[in-house]
Amino acid sequence: MSEPARVGDVADGLIIRGWGVDPESGREGAAEATVNDGILTRMTWLTGAAAQGLEPGGTLILPGLVDLHAHFREPGNEDAETVVTGLAAAAHGGFTTACLMPNTTPAIDEASVLALVRGAVAASGSPVRALVHGAVTAGRRGDTLSAMGELADAGVVGFSDDGAPVRSASILHNALAYAGALGLPIIDHPEDPSLTEGAEASEGYVATVLGLKGWPVAAEAGSVARSIAILADVVRDVPGARLHLTHVSTAAALDHVRAAKAAGLPVTCDVTPHHLSLTDEWIAGARRWAWQALGADGRARDPWADGALVAHPFDTSLRVNPPLRSATDAAACLAALRDGTADAIATDHAPHTEVDKHVEFGWAINGISGLETALPVVLAAVAGAGLPLARAVETLTTGPARVLAGRGDVWPGLRTGEPADLVVIDPAASWTVTPESLASKGKNTPLLGRSLRGVVRLTLAGGRVAYTVD
Amino acid sequence: MSIGADRPEGAIPAPVHWAHRHLLDVDGLTPPEIDLIMKTTDEMRDVLARPIPKVPALRGVSVTILFYEASTRTRVSFEVAAKNLSADVVNIAAASSSVSKGESLVDTVRTIEALGADMLVMRHPVSGAPYLAAEVFGGSVLNGGDGWHAHPSQALLDLYTIRSRLPGGSLQGRKIVILGDVLHSRVARSNVWTLTAMGADLWICGPTTLLRGFEAWASCGAAGRRFTVTSDVDAALRDADVVMALRIQKERMASGLLPSLREYAARYGLTKTRLRAANPDCVVMHPGPMNEGVEIAADVAVAPRSVITTQVTNGVAVRMALLYLLAGARHAEGGS
Repeated sequence: MSEPARVGDVADGLIIRGWGVDPESGREGAAEATVNDGILTRMTWLTGAAAQGLEPGGTLILPGLVDLHAHFREPGNEDAETVVTGLAAAAHGGFTTACLMPNTTPAIDEASVLALVRGAVAASGSPVRALVHGAVTAGRRGDTLSAMGELADAGVVGFSDDGAPVRSASILHNALAYAGALGLPIIDHPEDPSLTEGAEASEGYVATVLGLKGWPVAAEAGSVARSIAILADVVRDVPGARLHLTHVSTAAALDHVRAAKAAGLPVTCDVTPHHLSLTDEWIAGARRWAWQALGADGRARDPWADGALVAHPFDTSLRVNPPLRSATDAAACLAALRDGTADAIATDHAPHTEVDKHVEFGWAINGISGLETALPVVLAAVAGAGLPLARAVETLTTGPARVLAGRGDVWPGLRTGEPADLVVIDPAASWTVTPESLASKGKNTPLLGRSLRGVVRLTLAGGRVAYTVD
Repeated sequence: MSIGADRPEGAIPAPVHWAHRHLLDVDGLTPPEIDLIMKTTDEMRDVLARPIPKVPALRGVSVTILFYEASTRTRVSFEVAAKNLSADVVNIAAASSSVSKGESLVDTVRTIEALGADMLVMRHPVSGAPYLAAEVFGGSVLNGGDGWHAHPSQALLDLYTIRSRLPGGSLQGRKIVILGDVLHSRVARSNVWTLTAMGADLWICGPTTLLRGFEAWASCGAAGRRFTVTSDVDAALRDADVVMALRIQKERMASGLLPSLREYAARYGLTKTRLRAANPDCVVMHPGPMNEGVEIAADVAVAPRSVITTQVTNGVAVRMALLYLLAGARHAEGGS
């Protein structure tokens, strides 16, 4: 790379050599990318002597990452995050596209609120593309449909009441049908609230020992089964209907998705970086990756018995919805990514203020700030849990793009002649996660204080510099 | 190690092997540490037997008792224990403090520290709260009960009481039954740790809805720490050496966990008839407060085998021991 560029500048005069991974073309290998005047003028896949010294452990060149699920809190909770800080966090994390969830205050349930958010996006000047999901129901109250047609015309890329499920099955049916005709998916947060009232941690061994109210698997698996059943009814009338299940975290729920896909139903799902890499034992004070917490017999180890508890228990940065699950559920998330049951990794970036988090565990607000740690966590899974690099990159780029199905004009790829949309990472370099190291206002990550491998060096979005380490 | 009147005023001997600044749970206590607590409690019992049951061991130490939940037994027990050690005691009932104005736990603890507290005894309805307090408090935190999670001093006084009633003071292989609303019980959880650590044959019994999650604990735990979970009260009580009954709350009916208190009393209440299946010398315990006629029959509560009031007396001695050991650890660390 030549001269240091500033954020916002059109990328120019850059020559980047490294290990390229391009799921769109199916290519992976030594590569050289040349960027001039914002355009990826040349993407050369190197062989022979030219490829000397370039391997997967060295600099990685990936298409800009796509996040289907992030919370930027504006309008209504700007202390926790704003569009400006959220987009900065996205860029720092290597994301060139972020899809914003509508659970703001007011909710994005009609075009005027959408215009407000779009205004904030434009004013930020960030090169990162911010797409928006509209609410499924008016005010996210679950009683009536939001102004779906109006929102679709204004360019939302999906509908979600995330933060909560669509409570009424009949509303979900109508929403799937109505949105299907608009060519947009319903993104459901699968949870049965009657089973999760007061719940604090995933039901199981750790929750029992710690005296935390359990969050039953059935709360997610049952909701997923319900939504899939409703989808099956809807597609008979509306073949274009689409259901996307977000932050699926349990083996049982993933099994339902797998069966539904096998039956040909138009359902997709995503898993979060924290659900594939962290487990409920962290609440007890363990700090090992999920794949390190599995015994040879495939069962979760006992953290009280094998010296795994190294930190104070009840850390509220671990409180999230859905809750961190057992090591076997985390393994199921990884398996789902490998076999395609899970189409994408989405961060569910949920920044919160210190005030909302530095309280008693059961009273802490749910959410993990994840945009900036997603890529290092996924690379850790590649290194330690046998997730193939190409598949990992797919789930962060073309996978989410397929869920969006062209809406928002998201086509991740290292294509010659197009505006450069890529991220350059040094997977061997480490950085320590500290509040200062995060661009997000949300410092609520359980990885604070941890050294992670995977440093983003450069993020180019639409030909402009979105983040540079210089 | 003795705490007799001939000790020079103010001097606190550095206790051997006690290095914990806080006592938030009993999970990590090793058998030697538990033994140390038991021995220290013996000495405190001797102090309590004197005409003036006081020693100057904690003279000049400020103990603040912060209870977010109503309590008679534990709160008063800690206050008496601290005063017997000559500590300066401040008692805060959260409902009448700024907590009712919405002051956070973190701010409350910082304020208490600024007011000079060296030790904080806390009870809180949310599991894990004492860990948050310990994070921001410069002195020692003693958990007086947090949510459903832990009640260290109760489990230790239960252990002390059981040891005093079993031959040779050994729990090894003895059948001990905890009976009642285990799901919501921090007393049960802490007792699981201490009783399995001492090698007891532990049985957890109650209606299935109130045992939720314990089978996972029983089967996932380390090999040496297994226990039995059952809803069969007759099987549980058969040949039992110790039975600990737990309180059933009316609220459990409202949340759909039990049909009625009447049905609970009929099917799980500890009555003289049910106790016939147990060992004739079976010790009967209850952490209190009791709902006589529900989880325990009135005549069982006062029978010779019942040690319920002894538990209360032992509670003061155990809490004196814990305050003493924690204060000693502080001194050994140079008061940090």
